[in-house]
Amino acid sequence: MRVIVVDYGMGNLWSVVNALQYLGANARTSDNPAEIPDADALVLPGVGSFRSAMQALRERGLDDAIHEAVDIRGKKILGVCLGFQMLAQFGTEDGGERGLGYLPGAVEYFARASDPSLKLPHIGFNRVYFSSNAPLFRGLESGAYFYFVHSYRLLPGDMPGEVATATYGETFVSAYSRGNIFGAQFHPEKSQTNGLILLRNFLDS
Amino acid sequence: MLRKRIIFTLLYDSGQFVLSRNFRLQKVGDLAWLNRNYNFSQIAFHIDELIVLDVSRGPRNLQGFCETLRTLSQGCFAPIAAGGGIRSVSEARRLLQSGADKVVVNSALFASQTLVNGMVEAFGQQCVVGSVDLKRSSTGHYVLHVENGSQAIDAPPAQALEPLSQGLVGEIYLNSMDRDGTGQGYDFEMLSALPPQWSTPIILAGGVGNSQHLMAGLQDHRVDAVATAHLFNFVGDGLAKARSNIVSSGLSLADWPALDSLALQGSGSVS
Repeated sequence: MRVIVVDYGMGNLWSVVNALQYLGANARTSDNPAEIPDADALVLPGVGSFRSAMQALRERGLDDAIHEAVDIRGKKILGVCLGFQMLAQFGTEDGGERGLGYLPGAVEYFARASDPSLKLPHIGFNRVYFSSNAPLFRGLESGAYFYFVHSYRLLPGDMPGEVATATYGETFVSAYSRGNIFGAQFHPEKSQTNGLILLRNFLDS
Repeated sequence: MLRKRIIFTLLYDSGQFVLSRNFRLQKVGDLAWLNRNYNFSQIAFHIDELIVLDVSRGPRNLQGFCETLRTLSQGCFAPIAAGGGIRSVSEARRLLQSGADKVVVNSALFASQTLVNGMVEAFGQQCVVGSVDLKRSSTGHYVLHVENGSQAIDAPPAQALEPLSQGLVGEIYLNSMDRDGTGQGYDFEMLSALPPQWSTPIILAGGVGNSQHLMAGLQDHRVDAVATAHLFNFVGDGLAKARSNIVSSGLSLADWPALDSLALQGSGSVS
């Protein structure tokens, strides 16, 4: 399986490629929009801020390439951390920016209202809760630990698809899948064997 | 429920991993030594995170450090933070391209806000770990040190660390120079030297000699992660044993299935 990890110039792409290659996938990075639609699967990683990442994606024409691969050719995509957030409609970080629009809702800063002493970012292994038919979590039990590092989150409003949650001060969307759209707020490539199982499920889906 | 983390710190000086005692270094061995004595690809599954610091006392060789990092990261599916002597955003980017997920900065926190801000802008605040070295003066006050502990900062920690308490960095690595490598346990009083209203995650370091010391750190409500850099105290399967000791005494840590039970390598769809 040819997997392209989308490179928009901002992040640590090696960890994701390393984990996918370990599982046997033919994974590499690319920043060339012409190559993106030809991959069998895409991974959209991410560090940095929502706004600068979306701008970097657009400057390179990678947003259109992703839409062509996913919307027209039906290729599957996995967004990781900020890459997951970028699948949403909107992100409020740094003044706000439109996302790729696959998930309803806006990605916002964690609310500290319930607990002013809540430390941010949310860093570490936390439990992820999901339904037994969530394809990304096949072979795992609800409550499995995954590694998070983020300060912005998407709330689980009324959205279609499989929504996994986690709780840190409030309950937020920790993973998502619907058709060929997959996303994880945590870092599966950094979540020990639980993350490798999830990535294998994505490759096999 | 968010679990606290156990972090293993590797200290690197010019191609060798070293043991540090009060910031004086003793060379222990190279990557081959580490693999022989730690079976590193297995050990990485018994920690929550890895930190690799280039503490070279002579001129640093970034290329060599990045190659070591790349090798370490190949069998490691846990987060890795790396740093030591980073002087520019492009140097930080090279660490991130070599397997690091986060970059650790120390001297630049107090010398070059431009560099820290540049890193935050490029990679996000969650990607930057502030390394804070504290040493007690003869009068009992804590004094901040930079440049591998060789230079003192005049301003008191509660003042100089204020930007770090307000989200300049994603977390701090708080290390006791007095306890470093002594095996006497953590210095919890250091935590009182931080500014009040602290809301940045804290990794506590310096002084761990055994799993009870790690446990004491995990039980302190101000601490978010505990680290040890002692290459000899946890040699062999010491880290795995420490983790299981801590869990058997009733503290919850994150868990995941053992790698051997899964046959994951090369198992993903390759059609």
